[in-house]
Amino acid sequence: MPVLVCCRSLAIGLVICCSAIVAAQDSLHQRIDAAIEAAAGGELAAPADDSEFVRRIYLDLAGRIPTRDEAAAFIDDKDEGKRTKLIDKLLASDDHVRRLEQVLHVMLTERLGDHEEWRKWLRESVKSNKHWDVFVRELLNPDADNEATRGSALFLSKRLESYGQNPVDVPALVRDVGRLLLGVDVQCAQCHDHLFIDEYKQEHYHGMFAYISQVGLRTDVKYPAVVEKPLLKKVEFMSVFVKEPKTVGPKLPGLEEVSLPTFEKGQEWEVAPDPKTKKPGKVKFSALKNLSEQLPVPTNSLFKKNIANRLWWLMMGRGQVHPLDLMHSANPASHPALLELLADELAGHEFDMRWLLRELALTKTYQRSTLANFETDKVPLHSYRVALEKPLSSEQLLQSMLQATGMASTVTEAKPLTELQAKFDKAFALPAREPEVEHAPSVRAALFLLNDPSVIGWLKPQGDNLAARLDKLTDGNAFADELYLSILTRQPSAEEKKAVADYLTKHADNRPEAIRTLAWSLLASNEFGINH
Amino acid sequence: MQNPLCKPWEHTLSRRQLLGSALAGSAALGASTIGPHSLLSPAIADEVKKKHKQVLFVWIDGGMSQLESWDPKPNTLFGGPFRAIPTSVPGIHISELMPKTAKQMHHLAVIRSVCTKDNSHSAGVARIQRGDPKNRGVTYPFFGSAVAKLLGAGDSGLPPYVWIKPGSSGFIHTDAGFLGPKYGCIAFGDGKPPENLPLNAEITPEIDEERNELRKLANAKYAEGRRKQVGDAQGYVYDVARTLMKRQDLFDTSKFDPKDIERYGTHEFGRHMLQGRKMLEAGVTFVKVNSYGWDTHGDNFNGHLSLMPRFDQAFAAMIEDLAERGMLEHTLVITMSEFGRTPRINGHIGRDHWPEAWSVAMAGTGLNRGICVGKTNDVGTYVDGDEHDIGHLFHTWYSALGIDSKKTEYDNMGQPLPLAHDEMHAVKELLS
Repeated sequence: MPVLVCCRSLAIGLVICCSAIVAAQDSLHQRIDAAIEAAAGGELAAPADDSEFVRRIYLDLAGRIPTRDEAAAFIDDKDEGKRTKLIDKLLASDDHVRRLEQVLHVMLTERLGDHEEWRKWLRESVKSNKHWDVFVRELLNPDADNEATRGSALFLSKRLESYGQNPVDVPALVRDVGRLLLGVDVQCAQCHDHLFIDEYKQEHYHGMFAYISQVGLRTDVKYPAVVEKPLLKKVEFMSVFVKEPKTVGPKLPGLEEVSLPTFEKGQEWEVAPDPKTKKPGKVKFSALKNLSEQLPVPTNSLFKKNIANRLWWLMMGRGQVHPLDLMHSANPASHPALLELLADELAGHEFDMRWLLRELALTKTYQRSTLANFETDKVPLHSYRVALEKPLSSEQLLQSMLQATGMASTVTEAKPLTELQAKFDKAFALPAREPEVEHAPSVRAALFLLNDPSVIGWLKPQGDNLAARLDKLTDGNAFADELYLSILTRQPSAEEKKAVADYLTKHADNRPEAIRTLAWSLLASNEFGINH
Repeated sequence: MQNPLCKPWEHTLSRRQLLGSALAGSAALGASTIGPHSLLSPAIADEVKKKHKQVLFVWIDGGMSQLESWDPKPNTLFGGPFRAIPTSVPGIHISELMPKTAKQMHHLAVIRSVCTKDNSHSAGVARIQRGDPKNRGVTYPFFGSAVAKLLGAGDSGLPPYVWIKPGSSGFIHTDAGFLGPKYGCIAFGDGKPPENLPLNAEITPEIDEERNELRKLANAKYAEGRRKQVGDAQGYVYDVARTLMKRQDLFDTSKFDPKDIERYGTHEFGRHMLQGRKMLEAGVTFVKVNSYGWDTHGDNFNGHLSLMPRFDQAFAAMIEDLAERGMLEHTLVITMSEFGRTPRINGHIGRDHWPEAWSVAMAGTGLNRGICVGKTNDVGTYVDGDEHDIGHLFHTWYSALGIDSKKTEYDNMGQPLPLAHDEMHAVKELLS
């Protein structure tokens, strides 16, 4: 194994220990480490070695495992700053664009549906590093006349479709705006103030509902689009416990209520809808436009904490506030001051997500090992003393399996890739509306790997794929190295080398099948299926 | 023609011994004086006592009307058009919509004094199936996940919590709440096997064994020095998958006895109940079978007229079979909805949601047989006497399964949690 080079910040050549007073000019990743270490309350796991790190950072930032050559090049590199260099390289890569597009897609749609214009908008947004506040503005107030961005409407439109005989579930849309963009789940505050969470008031739900109550689905066009009717009066509501009618206009939790302008009858429209052509009109006062201007702003504490928390979860495997959509005082962040810091710093950098991902990747917290030489089961997850394992998403699994089996260059066409992804989603993804934030191993997924012909087919020698490369390697050590580097991004141990050699000897009469069996067992192993 | 599966109990006692004594004893059964092992000779009774306990949970989704089933009130203000009929237990009458079940009444224990909190489906289903304990800031497991955890999988090698339902298949890990995904529910949509069950055509059983040995070897090495939870759950789903691959016969309806198919009914619920019996025979700890479509806000009486006969047929056949096979000795059977239906008949000739006073029927291990506990008032609007919430029922079921729910606690990462509502207790009259 290569000797581990401990990665330090290049700016400051000294290790900051827990008790050191952190100067404000320190970069964010150093301040994160100081906060985590100060609260650790126990031994820390060692830093991840190069193999662990290179696999993890590729999965997190590029959405796939590294190729055996990428891994070998990184492991052999003697440069002290190689980890930082790799982080920067990956953040600037096309793979990262695809990865972040997939992450945002799953996070925002929760697998309710998809549309190519939505994907195009996501991809272009990630490519141009659109900052989160601008991104959310386009998400909440889609402009159907702007071909480049109109796909953003899917976030609303998908939730305004009706399913079967059920009426459109507007409360679910309100709930998702709160859950996904503010980190609060106001569902239980629909009929009364929340019973267990003091600060979730019925007014919060209805104030958010007011912004969205007039939005409907446009069916006159083929792309995702919504239409707004005039909002002429406040929303009326009454608690099922206290029979006292109340009203509220558009209002976000913790912010001022928007006062509704009044119009003479017939004057509410800037452009009246045309019943003949079915063209929707344009309202003079747009509640959605107001929402898109008032929600994604640096002064909205829930907004910035939510995105900071979700990016932390993405890299660290657990939210500072967990579950991600239950931010309230009875469910505090594991490190409250740190979450505030992350949120403020992100807002200070104009919501540049890529900047925060980079800072998180640079932390010792992120770069710790999932292995420890002390009892790990008793270590609280939220202490980050030991790095957390993360399940591979169905997107990461497909890309990584293609990479590992050496089929990535063969399967490049969009159509077969889309079909494969659909197959993988069916086997590995959660059903629609279930947030993919926890491990949810399934029998369905196991059966897919055990018996579905696609992955097993990739393990047959063809072209220059892994099976073909392995078949040519007659030297036992070289064979085991190739196998383990390609699939598990590490060198095999002496014991593993021997097991491989023994198995090949035992099945010398059917070498291709033996190769397939060996490779399959590593692809189906936890070490492959878990980002560790 | 018996199906070729060997029954779990055939390993310890002969079928004829059981059947012989069961048939001899089943002639004239009285009401509640029957002990749990009265049908069996003492030596065999000991064997049976050691049997792994199992549960059949029949969920009637949407709300079965207690007035058209277990608690009829004929010729009263809200009684509706159906009569009450006598059963195999003198003095107990149930709705005429359940003639076959009436013949099995001597095996059943019905409670008519159920009074619960929630009248909405979305919250009600989960609330009832999680036992509605006091809120301690955690999500409690569904009864199926709880039983899977407390009783384990036995030695069947099959998953401990199986659900046969209409619609889609899947692994419903959310049922498990704080117990963790391992105790989730494996659902077989329409009783069909999951996808990719047959062994891949290019892989021989020998190679299949070998590749999985190699996989386990790799997992053992990965697990050293890492947290157990994640790797364990991942490894577990493989074990279940491989057991199911070996037990495809459970899904092969062509092997089912045509007489059984006839008795249970060729309709969906009948097929699913028969499959449920196969799962119980194969040793699955907790089997849930669902029937949907009982939310009769409109046209309640025609609704029940079409729904009840299917329930009656399959449920009665199930009770009869479990009793005949001696399986009631170690199997707890429960059938219930999320609530009952209103005595008041609405403008659409329907009945609405009514958690205030309704009935649950049970049978099997640890329970008295041929009894009715609790009652409603003359018009069926409210409970007359002690009310029993879902917490009481959870305590009753745990007691029946031999689990002391007052002493046993869950350990949720160091947080002790009661199995059921800590201010409630088992309904003594139900327990044998």
